[in-house]
Amino acid sequence: MVASSDSHVTQCHIAAMKATHPVFCTIVPPHVLDKLAQADDPDLAGPARRTLEADAAQRTHRRLTTVLGAPAATVPQGAAAGKPHRTVYDAQHGQRLPGVKVRGEGDEPGRDATVNRAYAGLGATFELLLKGFERDSIDGTGLPLVASVHYGENYGNAFWDGRQMVFGDGDEIFRDFTIPVDVIAHELAHGLTQYTANFTYFGQPGALNESVSDVFGSLVKQYVNDETADRADWLIGAGLLTERVTGVALRSMKAPGTAYDDDVLGKDPQPAKMEDYVRTGRDNGGVHINSGIPNHAFYLLATDLGGRAWERAGQIWYDTLTGGSLEVDASFADFARATVAAARARFGDGEELEALLKAWSLVGVPTG
Amino acid sequence: MRIGVRRTGGFAGIERYAEVDTSERPDAGEWHALVEEAVAAGRGTPPVGVPDGFSYQITVDGETVYCADPRLTEAQSRLISQVLKEGA
Repeated sequence: MVASSDSHVTQCHIAAMKATHPVFCTIVPPHVLDKLAQADDPDLAGPARRTLEADAAQRTHRRLTTVLGAPAATVPQGAAAGKPHRTVYDAQHGQRLPGVKVRGEGDEPGRDATVNRAYAGLGATFELLLKGFERDSIDGTGLPLVASVHYGENYGNAFWDGRQMVFGDGDEIFRDFTIPVDVIAHELAHGLTQYTANFTYFGQPGALNESVSDVFGSLVKQYVNDETADRADWLIGAGLLTERVTGVALRSMKAPGTAYDDDVLGKDPQPAKMEDYVRTGRDNGGVHINSGIPNHAFYLLATDLGGRAWERAGQIWYDTLTGGSLEVDASFADFARATVAAARARFGDGEELEALLKAWSLVGVPTG
Repeated sequence: MRIGVRRTGGFAGIERYAEVDTSERPDAGEWHALVEEAVAAGRGTPPVGVPDGFSYQITVDGETVYCADPRLTEAQSRLISQVLKEGA
C-alpha cells in the first residue's frame, strides 16, 4: 500500500505541505521547499514560502544567539541580574511544547514532585554556573530557564530542543527523568554548549558535546551534595533505571562500560580509551558511546587533583568550553590541546597541568 | 504489511527495534491508514535531531522513512508508540 520510492517521496512532501501544523513542514528538505515555493498553485507555494521564511528566521536566530547571546528582551522586566528566571511547564503527556505553565520563578512548591524537582534542578545548575564560574545563566546574560515535564506517553527520555529542556515520565526501563539532578543539569549544559563552543552533534565533536553535559551534570550533583572528587560516585543517571534493569546508572565516568549489563538493554558500550573508540553511524556517530573517553579524562584529572571537582578540573573545562578557540567540529585532540592552554593560562605550569597531561595520556588522546 | 520501527539516540543512546506484521491482524485496516499518514510526513534522509532526542526509522515492506523528536506528527508518534509497544 505504500507506493514505490520516488513517486511516494514527492507525494509525501506535498502532503506535509498541506498539513495544518506548520511545524511539520520544517522536516521537508529545503530544496523541495524552494521548488514548491515557485509553484503556480498558491496552495503549494504559500505554505512553502512561509516555511522557508520561518526556517531562515529560526536559523538566523540560532546563529545570533550562538554568537551574541540571546536578546536581553527575553529576560523579564525588573528581573535582577545574577538571579534565575525559571519556568516549568506541564506537557500533560502530549508532545506540544512547552505545555501549560505550572510554576514560575519564586512560586511556592506545588504537589507535583516532578515539577518541583525540575525547578530545583534548574536552580542548582544556575547556582553552580554563577558561584563556581561567575556566569549569569547558560548564555552569560541571564537567559530564562525553561523546562517541560510529563512529556509524551510512556516516554523514557529527556532532551534539549535548542531552547528548553524536555523530560518524560519514563517507561518500563527508565523512571522519571527529573529524578537524578545530574540528568537535569546534563540537559541544561547542552544549552551552555550551544551558547559557547557549540560542538556539532555528530562524531567526535558530538561526543564532546555529550561529555561536556555529563561533566557539568556530575559537577552539579557534586555541588548539591557538597562532595569532594574522591567521594562522588561519578555516575550519570543513578536512580533512573527501574528494578527490571540490572545496572546502577546509564554511564560511569569513573569506569566507562560498567554502568549496566542487562538482558534487555545489553551491556554499557562506553570505552574509556582511544584504543577502544567505537566507529558507528548510529546514535549520531556514537555520541553517547565515545563520550566515555573525555568523561574518563575529566574523572582522572579531578580525582588526581582532589578536593571539589568544580574548583580546578571544572574551571579548566569551563575555560576551554567558553574560551572561543575551538571550532564547532573540534576533535578530542583539539579539545585536549585547548584544555592544556586553558590550564596554563589559569594555573600556570603547576600540578594542574601535570595532572591534566597525565589524564589525557592515560585515555590515549594526544595533547602535543 | 511488515512495519518496523528503529529508535536510536536518546539520553541513554540505547537502540530499540520492534516489528509488527499486520497480515494476521483483525485491525490491519487501522494500521494501514495510520502507516500511510505517518509515512507521508516522513523524510527520505535522517533529519538533524536535537541533543539527546530520539531519531526514528520507519520501515514498511522494505521502504524506510525517517523522523526525529520533537518534530513528529500525531500519526508518526502514535505509530511509533504502537509498534514499540505491541511489536516483537
